[in-house]
Amino acid sequence: MDDQGCPRCKTTKYRNPSLKLMVNVCGHTLCENCVEMLFVRGSGNCVQCDTPLRKSNFRVQLFEDPTVDKEVEIRKKVLKIYNKRDFDFASLREYNDYLEQVEDIVYNLTNNTDVENTKQRMEQYQRENRDVIQRNKAKLTREQEELEELLLLEQQGNEQRRLEVLQEEQRQLQAKRKNKQALLDELEQSHVPAAILLAKHKVRAAQLETQIEQQKQTVKPASLFSTGIHMNQTVSLQPLPRIEEVLYQYKPLQVETYGPPVPELEQLSRLGYLNHVRAAMPQDTAGGYTSALACHRAIQDAFSGLFPQRG
Amino acid sequence: MFHNSSHRKFWVFKSEDEVELLRYEANQKFCKKILESGKSGLSESMFLSRHEEDTLFRHYEKRLVDFCNAFKPAMPRSVVGTATMYFRRFYLNNSLMEYHPRIIMLTCAYLSCKVDEFNVSSSQFVGNLVQESPAGQERVLEQILEYELLLIQQLNFHLVVHNPYRPMEGLLIDLKTRLPTLENPEILRKSADDFLTQAAMTDVGLLFSPSQIALTAIMNSASRAGLNMESYLTECLGMKEDKETLSKMFDSMRRMKTLLKKYELPKSEEVNIYKQKLERIHAEFATSSSNKRKRGYEEDGHVAKEPRLVEEEWTDEDLI
Repeated sequence: MDDQGCPRCKTTKYRNPSLKLMVNVCGHTLCENCVEMLFVRGSGNCVQCDTPLRKSNFRVQLFEDPTVDKEVEIRKKVLKIYNKRDFDFASLREYNDYLEQVEDIVYNLTNNTDVENTKQRMEQYQRENRDVIQRNKAKLTREQEELEELLLLEQQGNEQRRLEVLQEEQRQLQAKRKNKQALLDELEQSHVPAAILLAKHKVRAAQLETQIEQQKQTVKPASLFSTGIHMNQTVSLQPLPRIEEVLYQYKPLQVETYGPPVPELEQLSRLGYLNHVRAAMPQDTAGGYTSALACHRAIQDAFSGLFPQRG
Repeated sequence: MFHNSSHRKFWVFKSEDEVELLRYEANQKFCKKILESGKSGLSESMFLSRHEEDTLFRHYEKRLVDFCNAFKPAMPRSVVGTATMYFRRFYLNNSLMEYHPRIIMLTCAYLSCKVDEFNVSSSQFVGNLVQESPAGQERVLEQILEYELLLIQQLNFHLVVHNPYRPMEGLLIDLKTRLPTLENPEILRKSADDFLTQAAMTDVGLLFSPSQIALTAIMNSASRAGLNMESYLTECLGMKEDKETLSKMFDSMRRMKTLLKKYELPKSEEVNIYKQKLERIHAEFATSSSNKRKRGYEEDGHVAKEPRLVEEEWTDEDLI
């Protein structure tokens, strides 16, 4: 396998391990230094095929074969236009034909066969399907956004956890350092023999160690199920205490009208009252009006308080 | 509904005497207030007596009804009924000498338009004072708005008045349904309507429930047409077993009829004399109190309009 290298300055990966190879739309390689040099003014021609190129279009070469990079670039461009998806088609057959067509285009463009025709085909397709393309684009960007949001959330979570761990370590380190400092202070000031102090310190250090170990163990036990319910919650199986209350008793409303009884609204038509009132017009009934309502109200008013007051 | 209304609870009185007593007390209260204010040159004879007050009241009430009937757009009867009832209720506890009936009657009509959902704008309302100049109408409107709250307060915020017109319709429907022997109940309507119109000008509305008034109107109309409708009372309204209720019913019908008979339009020469007296009283006492009230408003920050110098400029002669 021959080594990868810049075709212009002939540097290879072997000689310069930090060599960065770049690819442009034509699929020919250049190293970063050459790009910097040749495209100082932002644009220029490819050294190998004379295609006019722009500096901003140079990408780091990801694959060993630069044509793959070129294809990826082209595919990206083509799929921007050919962005239909399987549910845009009536049958699987049609979808497959469509995919085939896309592959043909990509192949043609990558291998420089029939470029002009292929480009025309693409343009024609773009004109004919402008609406669909726009719609699918919007849909895709939306999905993209959702995905990015999810990723962001995950990232934040990771960051949070990392920080916590870091803090924990920091705390432990500090505790140890404090312990050591305390020993030095004691050695300096107290009159107790050093051996005893050292022994004491050892015990203390051991204690601290076990403490940290314990903490490490207790740090992580998750306290929540994924449903959000606490893990150690004890579910009481006893029945809920019953509250004894007197049940509400419905008493029909008694209204003293101080007059003769008024027939019910529903009975007005049976009793023949409605023959003597103006029938409701169709436009009146739209709002829920019926002639019975007016009739009932008039009769209620007529009978309410009719009897003389007693006493 | 009437049976649980404030109308039934607070504004139906037992007897004519009770009503008269209230008015007498209102009259006396005002006289006493003025006398106690200690102005010089006061004498009892300056004030309106109860009889004089009553005459003037009837005069202004007539004016109110005429104003309402000439109102454009045409006012429904219930609005007129409500307005007269407000007027009546207001002067039950207030003296004519304290608040000038000229403005109170307009305020009553204005308020009843609102309460009875008869939609007229305020400028449209005063536009009915055809004899007034636009500026004069503006002034009247201002006064109406000033007195409106006082009126509502004096009515004790009981704004719903039950008029006897709907009960009369109800009774007619009931008659047609349950008393088929009666051949043409519609002939009763004309004179029953007249009865109610007259009743609105008397104390009947303060003494009886609207359904009783409506029933009396119909019974009265029937007896005029030479029909005996006693069977309707006994059979349909269920007063057969209850002789006491029936006799009381007849008694109240009789009372209503006498009240209506007693009513007479005030004589114009009497009215003129009393009116002069009233104007004098208002010029001397009432304006001072109204000024005080206005100042009170201003202190409260309610009304900050410039003082009305020409309050007495318009007279009720040009109202209609």
